Amino acid sequence: MRSVVVVGGSIAALTAVETLRMADFDGRITVLSDEDLPPYTRVPLSKGVLAGRETADDVVLAPLSDEVDLHLRTPATGLDTDNRVVLTPAGPVRYDGLVIATGARARRIGTANQAERVLRSYDEGLRLRDSLAQASSVLVVGGGFLGMEIASTARALGKDVTVVDLAPPLDRLLGTAVGGHVRTVAARAGVRFVLTHGGVRLLGAPFPTGVETADGQRFEADLVVSAVGDVPNVEWLAGSGLPVAGGVLVDERCRVSPHVVAAGDVAVFTTGDGALTRIPSWTNAVEQARAAAKALLHGDDAPAYRPSRYSWTEQFGLDVKMVGAGDPQGEPVVLDGSLDAGRALLAWPDATAPQTVVAVNHPTPPAKLKRLLARPAMEAAAC
Amino acid sequence: MRIVADRARCEGHGLCADVAPEVYELDDDAIVVLLHETVPPELERKAEGGARVCPVAALRVEA
Repeated sequence: MRSVVVVGGSIAALTAVETLRMADFDGRITVLSDEDLPPYTRVPLSKGVLAGRETADDVVLAPLSDEVDLHLRTPATGLDTDNRVVLTPAGPVRYDGLVIATGARARRIGTANQAERVLRSYDEGLRLRDSLAQASSVLVVGGGFLGMEIASTARALGKDVTVVDLAPPLDRLLGTAVGGHVRTVAARAGVRFVLTHGGVRLLGAPFPTGVETADGQRFEADLVVSAVGDVPNVEWLAGSGLPVAGGVLVDERCRVSPHVVAAGDVAVFTTGDGALTRIPSWTNAVEQARAAAKALLHGDDAPAYRPSRYSWTEQFGLDVKMVGAGDPQGEPVVLDGSLDAGRALLAWPDATAPQTVVAVNHPTPPAKLKRLLARPAMEAAAC
Repeated sequence: MRIVADRARCEGHGLCADVAPEVYELDDDAIVVLLHETVPPELERKAEGGARVCPVAALRVEA
């Protein structure tokens, strides 16, 4: 293998490049990114960038080595796996090995004539920052990590903030105990929550200024932001023959087909029970990209990908770090501190074999949180 | 090569130490600690790799 092409310009792409270099791959590495900026972190977009405290200099990651050929503003438009060529507006790019890391874009619920506000890229972050500065009231549609972080930043700027969702925000991610705690803190900070039955329709054009619920209730605000999930960028793979099912389908080593691997938000894989799943998070992009690059180099001898299932959010003065299965059910066992005191280390379903551990404003390093998790017998034997 | 760590920016996610434990550690408050004042040449690629996975861009590489 003399040349590897990495399609994508975010953390999965970057990690694949670094993993190849750390493994002393000395062939040519080409990165094709449709972004204007060199690889950056999206994590501060909903926080420092949205608040106007941070700009590109703060979010751009340590620059790639000169040995790597980075092409910005170069989207992949097609893939010919027979001839091993990625098509771009600047011409075809040949590869021996291909890493697909095209990520995902914000899901939209508006109509074609609506300039819906979303937050996914740096540019979208800047536009939202400017709109937010002009607004006195904000309506956030979707109460996941992103929606709640936007709500937190907007509230800290003194905006009147309402979060609209189908279910109590954060419960599906953090479980009812921690989700409820975060909502209590957010409500105390002045955030209003609206639960709807059925989806909402965005009102107003070109910029939405309200939503209408399925039962006809209307809510209005100067600024409406949609934070309703993401859509994998797979359109460029149409006709390539690669398996696409709500993402690019990868095996246990993140391989797609001979000479092709995929990682990050674009990758979908089969879980134990046969269901297809994506894990669109920073940690998972890093972990999949490491596995994918190693599989490209070493095939079956590469270690299989094992998600650590580590995620985090910061909002309303709370720093929440979670490892293990999402949406832990019922009341946790308290390993240290307490939620009422504002600092807690919690485990589910019990302290002897935790499946989920959450730290709220608790300085336990993530590596230690992971060690608190009960490991399946086979995995433990392999370590 | 030198790595510059912004300890005020560090949030203790520990990905640097996952990728390059020879270069990065977390202290008891989960804040990054650099193990080398100057990165030895044989660890330079690992040091760069660890710096680039920081989700809050708290690590800078200086040639």
